[in-house]
Amino acid sequence: MDLFLQLFTTGIMLGSIYALVALGWTLIYKCSGVLNLAMGELTLIGAYVCLTLYRWLNPHMALNLAFIMAILFTLVIGAILGLLTEHAFLRKMIGEPVLSVIMVTVGLSFFFKGTIFIIWNPDTQIFTPRIFPLKPLLIGNVVIGQVYLWSFIAAIILLVVFVSFFKYTRWGLSMQATADDEMAALSLGVSAKFVYALAWAIAFMAAGVGGTLLGNINGLNYSVGLLGLLVLPAVVLGGLNSVPGAIAGGLIIGVLQNLTGGYLDRFFPGGVKEVAPFAIMVIFLLFKPYGIWGWERIERV
Amino acid sequence: MGYLPCGIYHEYYKQDHAWWQTRFVYVKMVLLVLVLILFPYLVSPMWLSVAYTISYYILACMGVQLLIGYCGQITLGHAAFVAVGAYTSAMMVLFIPWPKLIVDWGLAYPISMIAAGIAAGMWSVLFGLPSARVKGFYLIMTTMAAQWITVPFIITQYVSRIGGRGHYFSLPPGTVKLGPWVIDSDVKVYYLSAALVVLLTLVMANLLRSKVGRAWIAIRDNDIAAETLGVNIVWYKLVAFFVAGFFAGIAGSFYVTALYFVSPEHYEWFFSLMWVGVILIGGVGSLHGTIFGSMFVVLVFKFLEMTIIPMTDMFPWFAMKLIYIKESAFGLAVVLFLLYEPNGLSYRYWQLKNYFNLWPFSY
Repeated sequence: MDLFLQLFTTGIMLGSIYALVALGWTLIYKCSGVLNLAMGELTLIGAYVCLTLYRWLNPHMALNLAFIMAILFTLVIGAILGLLTEHAFLRKMIGEPVLSVIMVTVGLSFFFKGTIFIIWNPDTQIFTPRIFPLKPLLIGNVVIGQVYLWSFIAAIILLVVFVSFFKYTRWGLSMQATADDEMAALSLGVSAKFVYALAWAIAFMAAGVGGTLLGNINGLNYSVGLLGLLVLPAVVLGGLNSVPGAIAGGLIIGVLQNLTGGYLDRFFPGGVKEVAPFAIMVIFLLFKPYGIWGWERIERV
Repeated sequence: MGYLPCGIYHEYYKQDHAWWQTRFVYVKMVLLVLVLILFPYLVSPMWLSVAYTISYYILACMGVQLLIGYCGQITLGHAAFVAVGAYTSAMMVLFIPWPKLIVDWGLAYPISMIAAGIAAGMWSVLFGLPSARVKGFYLIMTTMAAQWITVPFIITQYVSRIGGRGHYFSLPPGTVKLGPWVIDSDVKVYYLSAALVVLLTLVMANLLRSKVGRAWIAIRDNDIAAETLGVNIVWYKLVAFFVAGFFAGIAGSFYVTALYFVSPEHYEWFFSLMWVGVILIGGVGSLHGTIFGSMFVVLVFKFLEMTIIPMTDMFPWFAMKLIYIKESAFGLAVVLFLLYEPNGLSYRYWQLKNYFNLWPFSY
């Protein structure tokens, strides 16, 4: 039981990061219908930008302040990159077939990955000096690394911020309107272009913070990008066009990943942890092809 | 199909799809075969490896083209099936105690190549099964799952460890034997690749003008309409997955001979995505597109290498970053093609052909 609780809490905490990244993904899909396969690279970009800023700011100010400043700047840079990407590549693809749009994001993912590793060293890097103390906390019988705890808190704060932005602000409402019915939103004076750009900016921001947190846990290298890809099973589980679904999917994937890692690794040594989300997703899709909260699409010829 | 020359009209569907429509086509094809045969004598040996890499890409992309371009089932996990083919054939050649007769006649490799094709086809059908219920993005996710489950997990963690030779199987020289020929030099690998490409292109082109091919195209254009017209879409989708997997298996088992070893790193997700990129650059829904796309991508990579490697003496930085520069350039190429030439290279070829068909009276 202790093992289960342990795996479960760590899973929830990891899952909250996935939920954050998945939220960004779903926003793009809901608002502009783009299925973005470059999510892993978006997390990488954010993480590397944050790492560089942190190293750069660190000598000048206190540790925590430097990290918070670095994250804030990462958000700003992420937003700018998101706007640029949307403007340069995705805006021209509006109305093109699904495959083309997906492959543009795949092309972008190659481009981003290549460029990231041209600029930065592909070897594993860690956030030094450490921001979060190494000493784990003990709650009951459950041991929690402080990195996980703080990542969880940061992810939850950002999730609340993004969701309330989506629900209560004028821009968020215009995003909701576009997602609901683009034609109606356009006729009521919502600028679809602005909404698309906003969705990409938010996705870059969410992915950037997610990547930074993931990079803090295990060190930063390409595998962070692969973890960023795990949001895809998460959003599929939750249903593509549901924001609560994305968050729930992220948490579920985090927990399932940890549980399979903990229990099945004995029987199938190797990388069960990385594969399990995909395997679960395939089986799940056979029974519920539209995810838990997804809209079933009724097609007409 | 381009425009026909003056004075020739088609009256039947059969004529539309005939291969040898005019004498010009004959001449063109004979010339093509001659060029393929004489190629090793015309160029320096360096280009032979480029040529068989192109062939490998063509073989692998043919399945992707079939699934995406002709059947409308988007796949992002084709490298997994190529890997299954490569491992099946390598392991069959290495581990099965072949009777002496078969070894003498050089049948071990061809038999395992076909077995590899069938194994890869079955594996592909397994992951194609969800296509009965899901489509679009959800199908993409299941094919992606095929990639993640097969290559980094099953193959890297389990299959590669069989026999305890470390991470890859190497084929000792002389084991790959095709009839009387031992495939041991670049020239022979090249001829094998050229023969395979010609053969499989013929098979594919023939399939596409048969009942099966028409069913695939109907499913691509509108699956619900196809179903109402009596096409058994689940069956034909699975057939498409099988054939695509079969081609992938052949490609994989061919590439084993070129490399003399198999190792999981040649079948990473990168390649799955790249092969989809290749057919997008070449043109979706066109066999010419597969060939042009493969040539374009391999040659661009080669030229990048040729320009960058001489510079590494002065700037060692380039040597380290070469793969990332390649990747970045490839990504940019895919994006730019999609933005500015969404029909791909085969469309340009079609335009060119028609221009010369109608020349000099183009209207």
